[in-house]
Amino acid sequence: MGSFKKKDMKAGVLAIIICAMFISIAFSGCTQQQDEEKPEIKNPTTMVRYDIGDAKTLDPADAYDTGSSEPIFQIYDTLVTYEGNNTKTFYPCLATDWSVSDDSLTWTFNLRHDVKFSNGNDFTAEDVKYSFDRVLTMGAPESGVDWILGQCMDTNSTTVIDDYTVQIQLTQSYGGFLALMPYTVAAIVDKDYVEANGGVVAGEENVWMKEHPMGTGPYVLDHWTRATEIVLNRNPTYWGGWEGNHPERVVIKYADEPATRILALKNGDADFTYVPYANLEDVIGEKGIVVHPFDSYDVALLAINTKATNNEFLADGQVRKALSYAFDYDTAIDTAWNGYASRLAGAIPNGMPYYETQNNGQPYYDYDLTIAEQILDDGGYAKDYDLDGTMYRFNGTTIRLFYNAGNSERETMAVMFRAALDEIGILSSIIAEGWPQLLHRMYTTDDWDMMFIGWGPDYNDPDDYISPFIGSADIGQDTYNTGYMNATVDENILEGKYSADSAVRAAAYKAAYDIYIQEPSMIFLVQRQYIRPWRDWVQNYSYNPVREWYYYDYYKAYP
Amino acid sequence: MKTWEFIVRRLLLLIPVIIGVTIITFTVSHVIPADPARAFAGGPKAQPDVIERITKELHLDQPLWIQYFYYLNDIVHLNLGKSYLESRPVVDSLAQYFPATLELTIFSMLIAIPLGIVGGIVSAIRRNKLSDHITRIIAIVGYSLPIFWLALMLQYAFAYQFPILPLEGRLAIGMNAPSSITGLYVVDSIITGNLDTLASTLYHLILPAFTLGFATLALILRMTRSSMLEVMGMDYIRTGRAKGLSERTVIYKHALRNALIPTVTVTGLSFGGLLGGAVLTETIFNWPGMGRFAARAVLGFDFSAVMGFTILVAIIYVVANLIVDILYAVIDPRVKLGGG
Repeated sequence: MGSFKKKDMKAGVLAIIICAMFISIAFSGCTQQQDEEKPEIKNPTTMVRYDIGDAKTLDPADAYDTGSSEPIFQIYDTLVTYEGNNTKTFYPCLATDWSVSDDSLTWTFNLRHDVKFSNGNDFTAEDVKYSFDRVLTMGAPESGVDWILGQCMDTNSTTVIDDYTVQIQLTQSYGGFLALMPYTVAAIVDKDYVEANGGVVAGEENVWMKEHPMGTGPYVLDHWTRATEIVLNRNPTYWGGWEGNHPERVVIKYADEPATRILALKNGDADFTYVPYANLEDVIGEKGIVVHPFDSYDVALLAINTKATNNEFLADGQVRKALSYAFDYDTAIDTAWNGYASRLAGAIPNGMPYYETQNNGQPYYDYDLTIAEQILDDGGYAKDYDLDGTMYRFNGTTIRLFYNAGNSERETMAVMFRAALDEIGILSSIIAEGWPQLLHRMYTTDDWDMMFIGWGPDYNDPDDYISPFIGSADIGQDTYNTGYMNATVDENILEGKYSADSAVRAAAYKAAYDIYIQEPSMIFLVQRQYIRPWRDWVQNYSYNPVREWYYYDYYKAYP
Repeated sequence: MKTWEFIVRRLLLLIPVIIGVTIITFTVSHVIPADPARAFAGGPKAQPDVIERITKELHLDQPLWIQYFYYLNDIVHLNLGKSYLESRPVVDSLAQYFPATLELTIFSMLIAIPLGIVGGIVSAIRRNKLSDHITRIIAIVGYSLPIFWLALMLQYAFAYQFPILPLEGRLAIGMNAPSSITGLYVVDSIITGNLDTLASTLYHLILPAFTLGFATLALILRMTRSSMLEVMGMDYIRTGRAKGLSERTVIYKHALRNALIPTVTVTGLSFGGLLGGAVLTETIFNWPGMGRFAARAVLGFDFSAVMGFTILVAIIYVVANLIVDILYAVIDPRVKLGGG
């Protein structure tokens, strides 16, 4: 028995040593000295980006999500475009130049003569007309993205003047028209190719075009494996040519797990990847990785339901004004956003035209509970409700703060805001619900008081922000169903929308803002920054909030 | 009851099982007031005509029981609806992801079953010896290690610190998949004679298959060991030895076949479970299989996809159980299918 125990113990010790060796091998790299020399560039002619969220379609006529837009931007061209990080200037692309009539209704585009589609077909004005008419006829059955062109165009708008000139007669003048043109919905398809593959049927998607894109852009589709990757190869007939440094291949990979994406960046499989705020510490300061924040056009808002059935006090603009003073913006930036966000002056994000029309580009409200209390007291909303010895306002009515479950930034902001409301004598509660439940609540009931929401750009014009946020349902806006309506604000918004005169637009947006900010139906929380980690061997990357990822511009090399 | 009658009867049981599964999943996913049509159409940016189209497509403007009737009718016609996350029929998604999961499961089982059974036998016949201790530790480690931790550690060790294995995926970055015949890349590459793809597929299978197989291996190993120990103590084994049979014959001919019944049960159910998708393994290794698809569908409130997935998993379980029952009869001739 004694010898058995001894053998048993020896065996146990040996087994533990084996296990320990296995674990130590796994961890040994943690303490390894990093090689000082630059590592060899992996896949030097292929640009690889790991992201979340696969494309839904590669048909520009029905694409309305960022996952689809990215490959479409590489495969198709538009008449005008943006370059680098510049959002202020429109650059020629398939159009060499353009002009507009004095009444801002007629736009004439002269087209490039040297462009071929990747199948060898010539690009002409017929393709431009066909592309726009196709969008408007198809009606983007899956996404509804046709609304962007439909704002000011119909199927009679585009006229072919000659092979290389098109004229677009707007159904009504629109200040943001040119800003629509670089968006994917205005990408140009080959008429002959589409007609040979299903053509255009009103109200129906073109299944072929969804998975078989063909354009004039720098890349052509090699393959798209759903939930895995989209691989693009050079378009040999690209009119921009292949002189200089450009990737031969582009791979957009999809990986849901942040740890996997981060390791891919660290081991060089990925040249770019998406890293959530919570994981940034894993890449900041890592050798060979550049991490840079950029101001995006994504904004975070707190919508106030001015017709809340549960809370009639929110109908009063003064109450909403007081609530705007009760949000601790700077602390929210530091805590909820890890510092990667900035203050927001109003509906129009910083960087977009006419941003300065909003209080000279400065936030109107700061966190000041004293002012908030003063406004409420002056408005007759004294603390009139005793709850266990603490006095509250609004007869003890609770303001319910909703956010979509799982959104940690919104949860943090809700907790902060609730504490501030408590300090000024307002009872509140926080409710997290699934996204479809929240949408149901917001759009089919008035059974909500305040809701944390967000918005990203469709195109680079303030009309894409100011109209849906502060315009009323009477002019087809009020996207968040807050019930806010001010006829003068609406008039100014429409004036800004339909004028092509920048001075008129600026004056109109300023007038709308000045009225709205005194009775806001939403609290403008923050403008997000996107963090873009990439390998230091990637050159020439630049961030553009309305047209990111243009791989033709990038290349791999050490400086 | 004849074998074929037993199989048909069990397959017919699929009908009430599927009805039960659909009733539960349909009720759970539809009973909460929600606006899936607007969510699928783009949330606040949704256009009214798109919301209306989706509402009609999903019959959301009809009472719940009529919606359910439409759903059942679609299932009968092999239409599981449309995945709004992927903007394509759920059937197409399942057709792509199921073979990926099947391939991973098969390879993980190829690791787990032989190693588990051999390890279990060795552990049992060399009870309390060194090999028993080693296999016991392997089993305990395999059983108790969180699979996501193991997966992340293996990635860290073999795809980053000592980069000898690929980090993720089914194929090398940018590599074309073989022509889809079965959806199993190994089989398709062999059929099409594409050796590069075959090599890449096998290379990419190593880490996820090992991760997934490790936990199953532990289970099979422990089950085989305890079952073998129980059988080895029985009278007929002692009789076999007493009448002079070789130890090899006693173990492999008389003990093992009887000991395998519980192992087969566990293996079969594990196989069925893994075919439903190993969410963590597939997500970490970016394996485009059923588990990752289901997780995305749940997080994206893609009800049709979730329900399609659930129905398929229910079918898999029923079939896996059926195969296990048939295997009982193969292993032990005394077992009569259908209870005789």
